[in-house]
Amino acid sequence: MAQVKQKQRVVVICPGRGTYNKEDLGYLHRLHPDKMDIVESIDAYRKEKRQVSIQSLDTAEQFNMRSHTAGENASALIYACAISDFQSINEDEYEVVAVTGNSMGWYIALAAAGALNRQSAIELINTMGSMMTDGVIGGQMIYPIMDEFWVPDQQALDATEQALVDVNEIEDCEAYVSIKLGGYVVFGGNKKGLKALEKALPKVQDRYPMNLFNHAAFHTPLLNETSAKAKSILPSTLFTAPNVPLIDGLGQIWQPYSCNAQELYDYTLGTQVVETYDFTKAVEVAIKEFAPDKLIVLGPGATLGGAVAQSLIQHNWLGLQNKKGFISLQKADPFILAMGLEDQRKMVI
Amino acid sequence: MSNRNQLVRDNFINFVRSENLPKSSISLSPGDVGLTDSEVVDLFESQVMSRHLDLQSRIMQKKGESFYTIGSSGHEGNAAYAKAFKPTDMAFLHYRSGAFVIQRSKQVAGQTPLYDMLLSFAASKDDPTSGGRHKVLGSKALSIPPQTSTIASHLPKAMGAAYSIPLAKRLALEGKIPENGIIVCNFGDASSNHSTTQGALNSTAWAAYQSIRMPIVYICEDNGIGISTSTPDGWIAANYKNRAGLNYLYCDGLNLLDTYRKAKQAEKMARQQGKPVFLHMRTVRILGHAGSDAEFVYRKESEIEATEFQDPLLHSARILLENNILSAHEIISIYESTERRIARVAEQAASTSKLDNAEQVKHSIVPPRAALNLVSKYYKIKNESDRATLFAHEKHNLHKKQHMAKLLNWALIDVMAENKNMVMCGEDIATKGGVYNVTSKLCERFGKNRVINTLLDEQSILGLAIGMAHNGFLPVPEIQFLAYVHNAEDQIRGEAATLPFFSNGQFSNPMVIRIAGLAYQKGFGGHFHNDNSFAVFRDIPGLILACPSNGADAVEMMRTSVKLAREQQRLVVFLEPIALYMAKDLHSEGDGLWMSEYVTPSEDATATNSADHGQKISVYGEGKSLCILSYGNGYYLSRKAEKILAQQGIECRVIDLRWLAPLDEKGILEQAKLCENVLIVDECRQTGSISEALFTLLAESEVTRNKVKISRITAHDSFIPLGSAAYHVLPSTEQIVEEALLLVKKKPKTAVNKSQTEAETKIGNT
Repeated sequence: MAQVKQKQRVVVICPGRGTYNKEDLGYLHRLHPDKMDIVESIDAYRKEKRQVSIQSLDTAEQFNMRSHTAGENASALIYACAISDFQSINEDEYEVVAVTGNSMGWYIALAAAGALNRQSAIELINTMGSMMTDGVIGGQMIYPIMDEFWVPDQQALDATEQALVDVNEIEDCEAYVSIKLGGYVVFGGNKKGLKALEKALPKVQDRYPMNLFNHAAFHTPLLNETSAKAKSILPSTLFTAPNVPLIDGLGQIWQPYSCNAQELYDYTLGTQVVETYDFTKAVEVAIKEFAPDKLIVLGPGATLGGAVAQSLIQHNWLGLQNKKGFISLQKADPFILAMGLEDQRKMVI
Repeated sequence: MSNRNQLVRDNFINFVRSENLPKSSISLSPGDVGLTDSEVVDLFESQVMSRHLDLQSRIMQKKGESFYTIGSSGHEGNAAYAKAFKPTDMAFLHYRSGAFVIQRSKQVAGQTPLYDMLLSFAASKDDPTSGGRHKVLGSKALSIPPQTSTIASHLPKAMGAAYSIPLAKRLALEGKIPENGIIVCNFGDASSNHSTTQGALNSTAWAAYQSIRMPIVYICEDNGIGISTSTPDGWIAANYKNRAGLNYLYCDGLNLLDTYRKAKQAEKMARQQGKPVFLHMRTVRILGHAGSDAEFVYRKESEIEATEFQDPLLHSARILLENNILSAHEIISIYESTERRIARVAEQAASTSKLDNAEQVKHSIVPPRAALNLVSKYYKIKNESDRATLFAHEKHNLHKKQHMAKLLNWALIDVMAENKNMVMCGEDIATKGGVYNVTSKLCERFGKNRVINTLLDEQSILGLAIGMAHNGFLPVPEIQFLAYVHNAEDQIRGEAATLPFFSNGQFSNPMVIRIAGLAYQKGFGGHFHNDNSFAVFRDIPGLILACPSNGADAVEMMRTSVKLAREQQRLVVFLEPIALYMAKDLHSEGDGLWMSEYVTPSEDATATNSADHGQKISVYGEGKSLCILSYGNGYYLSRKAEKILAQQGIECRVIDLRWLAPLDEKGILEQAKLCENVLIVDECRQTGSISEALFTLLAESEVTRNKVKISRITAHDSFIPLGSAAYHVLPSTEQIVEEALLLVKKKPKTAVNKSQTEAETKIGNT
């Protein structure tokens, strides 16, 4: 009797905003010419909404910061790339045991896990991505809480916590933790709040604190109205239970058979929109509760791989202590397979 | 996997596939009990996880990766009642509560119960609860203080914690448990027979019977057997159904829906009405008592098979099928995918590091210091005008010298006033003011909520204190006589002292346990009022033992003890020598040398400024010929002897050890080194008394290398008889003098113990 090959157990991680950049132009056409049906169905939807097609965005000769990073375009574009990557995972080699994502990547995770069908996914993702077309509410700013060697920096973490307390005491200033992103904290707040925060935080590594262009104050109470609006536009019937477990931005696991679709809807358009997205926790739950053989980070881009690695370091997963150790591991036998990186992509498809 | 484990594992699949499932007389649908279909699946998933953790632990044990395989199989119905409570309802759980922990972990986002429990099985350093010290079910985030192999020893503290919830409200304090919280406490049918269970349930009922709110749900998980001894049919129901003050409910723990429904009823009674509930839950025991238990030796195979067919997981499968929630295929799919997942997580957990050395193991014996905001939360030094009101009844006496009982009483008034969360409890301590008036007026000043007269049960007194401490109180329980602590010592040894250790310092139960004890008292004769053995406290890691010999020290040491509990979360036993409570004179009647003036808190620099909280010896005299080491009554007698010896030209220094655990070893050796001879005077028995530790300390130090001669006088290895006969077995001043003379003048060549030989004669001569 032929021996059944043991598949590798993987957790898939879906990317969020800011992952489709200049070097990713042509991602869909270059890597997924066989999945144009996905792109077409997305564009058919977008056409109805009189939005620029992702096909044209992907094939544009030049990367245009304003149009490529605007929420109403970036969300759908990244979704198309990521879901196409997801479909390219070699099913003979890998068993997807759970799916998670970062920020907007949560919507993609819902689609990848089957909690949203193709039509529902584009409706949700495009709608949520287009919430800021009348003007971006607040902004986001990123700041490291690990040093350049990816060693947790307690002082930096304490400084962020203190800065937040101080800034919120200033009149008209609002700032919150928007995303816990491995070695970084992403703050969300109103313009005044972020400005004050920028002033309050010590400058580090020449770049931080760094404002994220075209990003709104996602995952903060500033988006309460957006949440209410989303619930009024999008029906809960879009959601079903997932086919594989989903890990959300609080670290909760949504199991296929016990998932309540209404609760998943409430979380996605309610809690998740207005409360901190703890991506670090999602990674922690993924590794501890599923002990996968690999983590697959969908493209486009591979920047999320860093945040994932930093989350692993925080838990000394596989004995990882710092960036150097992680790089050695990746060279020897990569634990994170980022589909946005050619070499690693080859190992996945 | 052994055959039985494999059989149980396979049976589930086979029985579900063939839909050959156990029947139930209960016909409930999820909707009938307020559950959705997905919630029932969720409960089932918790049960399956718990089962596979059990099976996995046995696989790990075979590989040498797991060390303790007592499991939850057959008891997985506790997932259903876990759902009926809030995750902030503090839960004191026995060792068959895996499904409870998993289910509760779903109520708090971001938990990793599978990995955490497997780390615990593997004794991994990364285990977030015990840090690799024990397989425990516990979690700070889930309000589950860890328990180990509890045989109901967790019930008294559960009772205490329940009492403390409404108490916090009455005292307008913010407890660690929410104001509307309740306590959940489970145990098995076999351990329900334990005196500790009986005591805790009795105390609960005793309080409830008087309409005191006791928001607690006790759940007796009745699987009908304790290791190999069957529980008589109907025993639990017959025993608890009609207990005064307890509200009995029954549920079928094999049926998720019935269990959830009854648990909700219980929860409501406890939360809304503050009534204690005894929820009797039927379970079965599958896979034996523990991995090492060969069940076939005492149970027929047919009986084992019949029990296994009553597997709660099979009952749950029937509920899912009957209500068309899942197909057999889907049920099996959950079962098998969970098994694979747990096997993989187990591999990962088993590969993590273990504790590598003694220092790492011991790291959490002493709890971490309390957070500064908590230290100051209820602590405030009182100003003199407030104190004047407090001490109005004593205004004419405050500047007069007083004996120890009075001074301790005043110190307690001050510390009670300063620490708003301090609560005293014990037998007769309220209006009566205790047997020796040490707690006199405290109830009048601070009310019966802070000075609690308990029922006559030491396990319950200590359990009450431990439970209160879990909720943020600073308890000062009193054990009326030292001899009475022995029936309850496990509450200190096995529970209070181990809590920081097994929770890696995450939980603590700081308190000061006052105990009146030791011999020589004239009022109350006989052993039980003159017990002279505290050996029980000497080997408890992390415990601090204080024993003042005089009023001034008692005041300072009480303040220090309270401070140690408040700031360092320490467990302190404060041993008060009864015979010295009222002692006024030292050398002759009327000399008043054993009385002191009361030092007010603001005057007491030692307690407030000293970094080491004054856990030091005290030194009387500067003599170099002889160093007498003693404490308590022995110190008092030694001070008498010192004067006599001085008259004979022997200059002594007399050391009061004051802190008996840990000993101030450095201070003792420094003094001993200065002298030519050392005499240990110990009023406790020759065997097991602290004289042994002192002798060893000196023998192992450079003191002996410097040829200092050592001798000791101890009490006899005897119980204390009535009347003057007591003095035949206790050290006396005369004996100290004689031994000192012998030591100094004759200079024996080797260290000797005199208690059993010469001492006998000398006591007879006095």
